[in-house]
Amino acid sequence: MEALNGWWDDYLLASVTVAKVFVCSLILMVIFGLLGASAKLSSNRLANAVGNAYTVFFRGTPEILVILLLYFGSAVSLTTIARVFDPSVAFVDIPPFWAGSIAIALVVGSYATETFRGAFNGVKSGSIEAARALGMNGLQTFFYIRIPEMWRIALPPFGNHMLSLIKDTALISIIGLNETLFVAKQAASTTGKPFTMYIVVGLIYLGFSTAITISVLLLEALANRHIQRRPS
Amino acid sequence: MKNWQTSLTGLITAVLLSAAPANADTLRVGMECTYAPFNYRTSDGKLEGYDVDVAKGISEIIGVDFEYVCQEWDGMIPALLANKFDLIIASMSITDKRKEQIDFSSPYRNSVGRIVGPVGKDLKLFDDKGQPVVGNFDGLRIGVERASTYFEWFSAKLPKADLVLYDSNEAMYLDLKNGRVDVIMTNPMKAHLSFLSGEGKGKYEFIGPEVNEPKFFGPGVGVGLRKGNDELRDKISAAIRKLIREGKLKEYALKIFPFQIHDDAWAEE
Repeated sequence: MEALNGWWDDYLLASVTVAKVFVCSLILMVIFGLLGASAKLSSNRLANAVGNAYTVFFRGTPEILVILLLYFGSAVSLTTIARVFDPSVAFVDIPPFWAGSIAIALVVGSYATETFRGAFNGVKSGSIEAARALGMNGLQTFFYIRIPEMWRIALPPFGNHMLSLIKDTALISIIGLNETLFVAKQAASTTGKPFTMYIVVGLIYLGFSTAITISVLLLEALANRHIQRRPS
Repeated sequence: MKNWQTSLTGLITAVLLSAAPANADTLRVGMECTYAPFNYRTSDGKLEGYDVDVAKGISEIIGVDFEYVCQEWDGMIPALLANKFDLIIASMSITDKRKEQIDFSSPYRNSVGRIVGPVGKDLKLFDDKGQPVVGNFDGLRIGVERASTYFEWFSAKLPKADLVLYDSNEAMYLDLKNGRVDVIMTNPMKAHLSFLSGEGKGKYEFIGPEVNEPKFFGPGVGVGLRKGNDELRDKISAAIRKLIREGKLKEYALKIFPFQIHDDAWAEE
């Protein structure tokens, strides 16, 4: 344990980075998932094709590949595009934080797409008809009826997606983001105590995932409170 | 529903394009930050090691500030080519294969390999002339780092060897201790310092002589840079020669090893 002296602050900072990546990629993941689900459910053929291509591609390729492609590919392609408009541009780049967050959000978002699609399909047609009968327009039906109803169905698998997301943040160390695994690598190299260093990372991730599991349980209780049996 | 979709697409595009432009006055240097004692980060967050000292020496002589970027080994050359940084100062050996993609300065460190294995196993892997005895490698599991010059050497000299590839030096040593590999081929300077004189003392030793074949390991370790930067490359090479002449490289090496790890002849053009 002595080997850990002096590394705690690095682990703490790195945990904050993990939390930041998680929050950003979670928001993006929900956005990608909702966009994907609405594309797949849309009556527009083009939107259908785009939605299908999205889930086929991102569910079918390894996360680490998507991260590498986005990080290295973006620098080359964005710079080329930027030079068309302004030849003096030396380089344009997505920093590791955003490249990593977007990449894991895209991958987990493709799974969320299927979850959301299934959940939207699970909304009772009677509820929609009732909303129409009350004179709600499409947008109102979407936010007041579809979202709250699908949410209950989507929550349990969504909890799994959140766990995937938090664990995927560890992959971003490969593009040099200073997160916990990267700190552990540095510390292992400097102190020669890889086990101690990696166990700390394991504990940090266990902490994060436990917090997520508990919040999902609470959210489920909240979402289903009206159908819960009251104690007699 | 179309509205919020369009605005979200706009938002994502904005995030993608709000990337930082380059600063012309500094050069960005890529290194692993996990390769002690050559480039590593201490618990205070400071970068240290031989590569870092060399980088600082060069920066002083050419009068340009360096900014350091930590990058995993596998992606080092792709990251340089993708403009993630401008120089590689990461113990990268100059090899013909790498030269197809990037340019190198003149060398600043030796590049050799040596096999490390358990004490007292008379494996006879090399003959009297220091050449590998192909048959004696049969049935041995050998650990090497992925995309390293050692891997290239094995592929060419002992294509049938049972290689186990590692992303990091640490994992390779762990498996050597666990017995998942029988021997490893690695950088003898690092092995001496971080393993054989510490944890592995008395239990592991060098097997066979140092393998020094410029065809695979190159003339040494140099600074890598994108092709087409000849002016910068010449400036850096000149700075390295100056560091050798002034005895700075020796000074950097003696901080870590009991011997210097460069060739004084490199000071000549």
